[in-house]
Amino acid sequence: MMEADKRTSSAADPREVGTQLRPGLWHAINERYPGSMIRKESFVPQARLRKPLGASRLTLISSCGVQLKTDQPLDVCHPFGDFRFQRVPSGGKHDDLIIHQLKYPRDDADLDINVIFPIERLQELSEEGRLGGLTPNFFSFIGYNMDPEKFERTVAEGIANAVVEEERAECALLAPA
Amino acid sequence: MSVPYLREAAAQDDLGKLVRFVRLHLGDGNEAVGKEEIDRSWAEAIKTLLRDAPVDREFIARVLETNESTLALLFFHLHFCFIRGSGRWIHDGSR
Repeated sequence: MMEADKRTSSAADPREVGTQLRPGLWHAINERYPGSMIRKESFVPQARLRKPLGASRLTLISSCGVQLKTDQPLDVCHPFGDFRFQRVPSGGKHDDLIIHQLKYPRDDADLDINVIFPIERLQELSEEGRLGGLTPNFFSFIGYNMDPEKFERTVAEGIANAVVEEERAECALLAPA
Repeated sequence: MSVPYLREAAAQDDLGKLVRFVRLHLGDGNEAVGKEEIDRSWAEAIKTLLRDAPVDREFIARVLETNESTLALLFFHLHFCFIRGSGRWIHDGSR
C-alpha cells in the first residue's frame, strides 16, 4: 500500500467530514482498490477554449462502454479491465449502439442511450448551430480497470492522439459513467 | 485492488489477497456475494454435465493447446457464461 492510500484510509480523512451521501465510501474504495485512486498531484489543468462553442468541433469521450452493435464487444469479463477503446461514429443513433459494461446499473440507458452517451443530443446541438460541429467519431471505453498506469499508456494516450491527430477536435466533452 | 497490489500479492504467493480480489470482482464489490457466485458457477457446470449431452473433446483439446493467458481469461468468461445461463445474473445492469 502506498503512503497516499494509508492516509486516505484513516478515519480522519478530510473527505469524510461534512455531509456524505455514502459515508465510508472513500475508505471502502481505498481498502478495495489501493493505488487506483487519482491523487491531487495528478491534476492536469484543462485547456481554455480557443474559439466559442458555436465555432468549435466537439468530440465526446465516455467511460460508459457504449459501442456499435456490429463491433467486436469490449471485454467485460477481464478481471483487470479491457485496455482498448472504441470509436463510435458521431452520427450514430440509439438503435445502432449497445452497452458493454457490468459495473453500473443501465436500465435507463438501455431505454435511452443518451443518458450516459448523449450522442443524439450533441447531434441536435450541432444541427442547431450551438456547436461548430462534431468530430467524425466519438470515443468510448470500459471505465473499470485495475491498472491506472497501463490505462494511461494505452487507452488515454490512444484516445488523446486520435482526438488531436485524426479527429481534429477543438474541444471534448468528457462523460464518466 | 490495483494490479501492482496484486503483483505484490502474487510474488508473495498471498492466496488470501488474490482470492479476495477475485471474489470482489465476481461479486460486484461484495466478497460474500462473489464467493456465492463462484460456487454457483461450479454448480451450474455440474448441472449442465448431468444432462449427459454430447461433448466436443477435440475442441477442448485444441483450446487447451493455446497460451496460458488466453486460458486464464477464458476461465473468467466461462464463469460469467455459466452464471448468466443460470438465470440469476447480478451483473445484468438492473438496480
